[in-house]
Amino acid sequence: MAGLTLKGVRKAYGTIAVIHGVDLAIADGEFIVFVGPSGCGKSTLLRIIAGLEEVTDGEIAIDGLDVTRVPASDRGLAMVFQSYALYPHMSVYKNMAFALENMGLARSEIDARVRRAAAMLRLTEYVERKPKALSGGQRQRVAIGRAIVRDPKIFLLDEPLSNLDAELRVATRKELAALHAEIGGTMIYVTHDQVEAMTMADRIVVLRGGRIEQVGTPLDLYNRPDNLFVAGFIGSPRMNLLPVQVVSPGLVRLSEASEPIKVTTGSLAAGASATLGVRPEHIALAAEGADLALTIDLVEQLGGDTYFYGSAPGLPQITVRQNGQALRGRGEALPVRFEPAHLHLFDAEGAAVRPGR
Amino acid sequence: MTDLPTGIEPQAAPTVPLLARLRRAGETALGTLLRLVDRPMRLLQRLIGERRMAYVFLLPNLVFFSLFVFVPLAIDLVFSFTGGESLFPSQRPYVGTDQYAYLFDCGSFLDPASCRVDHFWRGVANTLRFTMFQLVSMVAFSLVTALVLNMRIRGRGFFRAVYFFPVLLSPVVVALVWKWILQRDGLLNAGLTTIGGQKILFFVDPGWAMFWSVFVSVWAHMGFYTLILLAGLQAIPADLYEAAQMDATPRWRVFWRITLPLLWPNLIVVIVLALIRGVQTFDEVFVLTGGGPGTATLMIVQYIYETAFASQVQNFGLAAAASIVLGVVLFLLTLAQLSRTRSAS
Repeated sequence: MAGLTLKGVRKAYGTIAVIHGVDLAIADGEFIVFVGPSGCGKSTLLRIIAGLEEVTDGEIAIDGLDVTRVPASDRGLAMVFQSYALYPHMSVYKNMAFALENMGLARSEIDARVRRAAAMLRLTEYVERKPKALSGGQRQRVAIGRAIVRDPKIFLLDEPLSNLDAELRVATRKELAALHAEIGGTMIYVTHDQVEAMTMADRIVVLRGGRIEQVGTPLDLYNRPDNLFVAGFIGSPRMNLLPVQVVSPGLVRLSEASEPIKVTTGSLAAGASATLGVRPEHIALAAEGADLALTIDLVEQLGGDTYFYGSAPGLPQITVRQNGQALRGRGEALPVRFEPAHLHLFDAEGAAVRPGR
Repeated sequence: MTDLPTGIEPQAAPTVPLLARLRRAGETALGTLLRLVDRPMRLLQRLIGERRMAYVFLLPNLVFFSLFVFVPLAIDLVFSFTGGESLFPSQRPYVGTDQYAYLFDCGSFLDPASCRVDHFWRGVANTLRFTMFQLVSMVAFSLVTALVLNMRIRGRGFFRAVYFFPVLLSPVVVALVWKWILQRDGLLNAGLTTIGGQKILFFVDPGWAMFWSVFVSVWAHMGFYTLILLAGLQAIPADLYEAAQMDATPRWRVFWRITLPLLWPNLIVVIVLALIRGVQTFDEVFVLTGGGPGTATLMIVQYIYETAFASQVQNFGLAAAASIVLGVVLFLLTLAQLSRTRSAS
């Protein structure tokens, strides 16, 4: 297994730049997830690492060795494609053995590796079948098996769960996490699904418009988003983002009529516009001393949790998450209080305001 | 509601473009026609049932097909069991399988000279040789051309058109063009003499005559087969090649293990179609070499044509028997194509 370093990696198609100078260091054995909306460049970045796309500028190093101009076939990486890209005319066994034959391994060694991977992925009874005779989940496992047998330096996975139904996706997500724990390889996983990113990653790389917005552990990103984009992208339901004005150091106000709210304002001057971020679970129902009085627009009862979608004059719709089954109906008043320890403030440019900044 | 202002005349309405008017007229005519046939068709369907209606719709085509294929085939079969020179079946005596016996009367099938109808067997031998060379060259050149035209090369669209262009030409035109190039004082010999070489009598030497017959046939038809193979190549998902790249697959192995197996259904179509076309070859070779020198490029179909229509004694019965034999061979080849295509897909 190996680590990976990207230095100032840029990619442009003619005059259109799609990756704008990405710097990233991935440690040996890490499970890294690239996440971002469609068109953010996450798949392109993965293909650049794979060697399937040439870089316009910058450097890629695997274990300190510059591989920027090394073709895909010589980088020693394995990739699981979104479409699985299984060879349709070959059996499961031959699909997995194909790369090993290219490596010139002995027949016995190939057989041992394929059988071991098939057993690990519960494919033993399907090895003689062709891909068209397999279910989506089984095909996906064959694609992973094809990568595993090669014992690659790094595994690259391009949205491998996107073709599976919701139930199978959750099951396979767990299997992948378990597989990573078992084989301990460096894995780079691309997804647009932040839940996949949060549940599987050691570290998440959030991308937008070909730029890295933030890199960190799932809880880092959840608890300390660097900017409005990450704050809104990570977490489900998404963070409530409310326009506020700084009243004085440490105090902001939602509107002229509302009570001031305590939050770190850093170097923001009084009167500055900002955005207050608060996650749905960090809004408490308040009998008295409420920060805000909402009117309930919609209630979603999930059994274990209840989501209230409420509105207040001049503010976007606010989501409130309550544990258990809260019995309130549409149109009722919902006085709420923000938990001061979990408030986020973002300046007019969208950057997070930290103490002393 | 108020009336329209009196100043607006009907001709002041925006002019409807000609195409739109034509389309509207067409739609109206079609609508009228459909309304006319709607009631009788519904009545018919009620009478014969929904399933049998399929045959009603097949009927018009079946009538034409019968008239121009099945009926001539039946007449041909009848003629093959008759003798004489008359064209009218009523005046032709029944001879049983004599024509077939005469056709197959050979000392050795490998030696046409030992056969009573030696020209037929020379035609068979020539057609086999022609078909074999033509098939191998056609598949090889079409495949290579399709592979090249599938690459990202400059002017790809232009080259695709260039290779397909000869397919649009009439076989007679193709043969005449090449005849002008290859004849004694043709373009090729002019070129040869210009660079100091000697004239080659391409249509006098049996080897050259067969070579150019195959060459012209391949040149004229490979565009069609290239198109079939190109469609097959483009249907292979690009991510399979990327997966092969990630698997560190050498290029030759990508071709043998990925491209060729996935192209196999298209290749089978090309092989069988080229085979059938090879066996049926007539017009190009006939115009180009006239079957010569001697009988060096005489093909089966040319033999049938000459026996029935171009010889002093018009032997329709023998020609019919020969064409039935050819028909059986083509039928078997077509069956093979259908079965191979089914198993390949």
